[in-house]
Amino acid sequence: MLGSPALDRASATGTTPSRLVRAEFMKLRTTSAWWLFLGGFLLFTALALLNNWFSNHYLLYPQQDPADRAQALAQAAQAHTPAGVAAIAASMMTSGQFLSVLIVMLLGVHVATNEFAQQTAVTTFLTVPRRERVVAAKLAAAACSAALLWLIATAIDAVVTPVFLHTQHVSTSLTGWVVVRPVLASLLAFVIWAVFGIGLGALLRDQVVSIVVAIGVYGGGFAVVELVFHAIYDLSHQGWILGLPVIAPAVASQVMVTAERAFPHAPPQWVGAVILTGYALALAAAGTAVTRRRDVT
Amino acid sequence: MIILLAVIVLGGLIWLMRRGRGTAGRVEVPPPPPRPPGPPAVVRPIPRERLADGRIVITGLTKEYPAGRVVDSLSFVVEPGRVTGFLGPNGAGKTTTLRMLLGLVEATAGTATIGGFAYADLDQPIRRVGAVLEAGAAHKGRTGRDHLRIICQAAGLPLARADEVLELAGIAQAASRDFGGYSLGMRQRLGVATALLGDPQVLLFDEPANGLDPEGIRWMRELLRGLAASGRTVLVSSHLLGEMEQLADDLIIIAAGRLIAQGTVASVTGAMPHASRTLVRTPDVAGLAAALGGDAAITQASDGDVYITGADAAAIGDAALRAGVAIHQLVTQSPDLEAAFLEVTAGKAAIR
Repeated sequence: MLGSPALDRASATGTTPSRLVRAEFMKLRTTSAWWLFLGGFLLFTALALLNNWFSNHYLLYPQQDPADRAQALAQAAQAHTPAGVAAIAASMMTSGQFLSVLIVMLLGVHVATNEFAQQTAVTTFLTVPRRERVVAAKLAAAACSAALLWLIATAIDAVVTPVFLHTQHVSTSLTGWVVVRPVLASLLAFVIWAVFGIGLGALLRDQVVSIVVAIGVYGGGFAVVELVFHAIYDLSHQGWILGLPVIAPAVASQVMVTAERAFPHAPPQWVGAVILTGYALALAAAGTAVTRRRDVT
Repeated sequence: MIILLAVIVLGGLIWLMRRGRGTAGRVEVPPPPPRPPGPPAVVRPIPRERLADGRIVITGLTKEYPAGRVVDSLSFVVEPGRVTGFLGPNGAGKTTTLRMLLGLVEATAGTATIGGFAYADLDQPIRRVGAVLEAGAAHKGRTGRDHLRIICQAAGLPLARADEVLELAGIAQAASRDFGGYSLGMRQRLGVATALLGDPQVLLFDEPANGLDPEGIRWMRELLRGLAASGRTVLVSSHLLGEMEQLADDLIIIAAGRLIAQGTVASVTGAMPHASRTLVRTPDVAGLAAALGGDAAITQASDGDVYITGADAAAIGDAALRAGVAIHQLVTQSPDLEAAFLEVTAGKAAIR
């Protein structure tokens, strides 16, 4: 209006999926959120690498402790076998898995809830009244960000792991399936947790409540489910009960990513993948449905 | 271990959010004064055959919350090429009505259309309708320019359009500053800039004068008049009749979610109970009443003051002179529209 060279020059394309996703990336990029999430992510990755470095080192070379020295030596011998070294390499290559996906989930929560916290939701939904398109763009943007974070973490791990193996005087191929499978499963976990976070945020809308619930589901859910099923096991002594904690999303994620069994009686990896994907898709669907219908005031 | 880390993460995230939100704690740089508005820009007129696309039709619109009805069977039409004032006391349902019109709030019953379409069914809605709903609807940690560019990106408009509307709204000099540091007046102007992005034919403003200084109010008034003169539809909500009297061509008055009056400013204000009255102080009320005859209505207040309607001061003075009645005071009390407006809407607006 009032004479617009910009509007006259370029014919407006209208809302397209790719422009919507780019708009979501702009929202992330134009505030300090992106750098804070990246910083937190790098910090957790570094801490996890440090932790894995030492725990794997002591697994290979146990300290002199007469009490359970025999058991430690047996474990060390097991760790020095080709399969043992491959498992150690896999754990190094997926360092930070446990806490990094928490950051990724919180990133999803942030992308979904920040527009309500900052009152930009009205403008967004006036621009794109078909709200499911906005949620879809947020899902895509969060999933892409998650994949990018995975790439960064994997790149760091891929530098540190060979150094670690060299200093421990063991060697294994990092391109073997035993190592590559958990690394790829980790990519899947990152993307699914981002979707999980968006779904949760869209459903709850309130930013602080969503963050508390997200952390509760992740950390608390882990502990509570383990406790409950161990208590049931103590009563019944049925081994399969110890595999049931996989119904908690965080446990399912661990089951999916771990190279071998995540814990005794753990179900196979694909069971974890199916359960985690199920949660994420159900939350995303519920979040989209609620966002479509709910009044924006 | 997990719990400890969770607490660390939670603390960090809450800090992050406070940072995003909180320019409250930041030292606020005094905003440079908005650029004085230049001569009214030439507004591209809307072709005659497209005028009907700007017509807003509200039919039987109702919004019911568990706590009660906020909007109750509301029907009215807003015509293009005019500034329409949407008036009502706070809590009358103005904002809810605008939000239903924009598809943000789902109506319990009734329809609200723009050029015959529900907002959500419009192709490229921000190229048809621009709305300023609340000042302060941008991320506090994002610059004004980025806020607008994101909307351009999502709507498929060229990103360069952001700078054009910043210029139009007179806040080009604040384009690269974080929204959190904007004054209320600058936030209103950014809201206007946002509404103008798509060069829309229909403009909706919810209480646009809030927070503006006299200069800003004059700028806003000229802008709205210019937009209406070009054939655009301009609907402006307000709770002040005086403000709308100077700006609007048409008025729609609601209270408690119901339509109270609709029409041109003259017809609506003319119909309000605000006939002038004359205050008289006299020791002989009965004598004056007899002198005035049956046309004048006389009411006596408890303090002895007499109010007369149906005869003006000159007629009362002449009649008193003829009858030999002493007059100690004779004052014409002119109509008070704002008071009349309050009277018309009084008791109908629940506090919400």
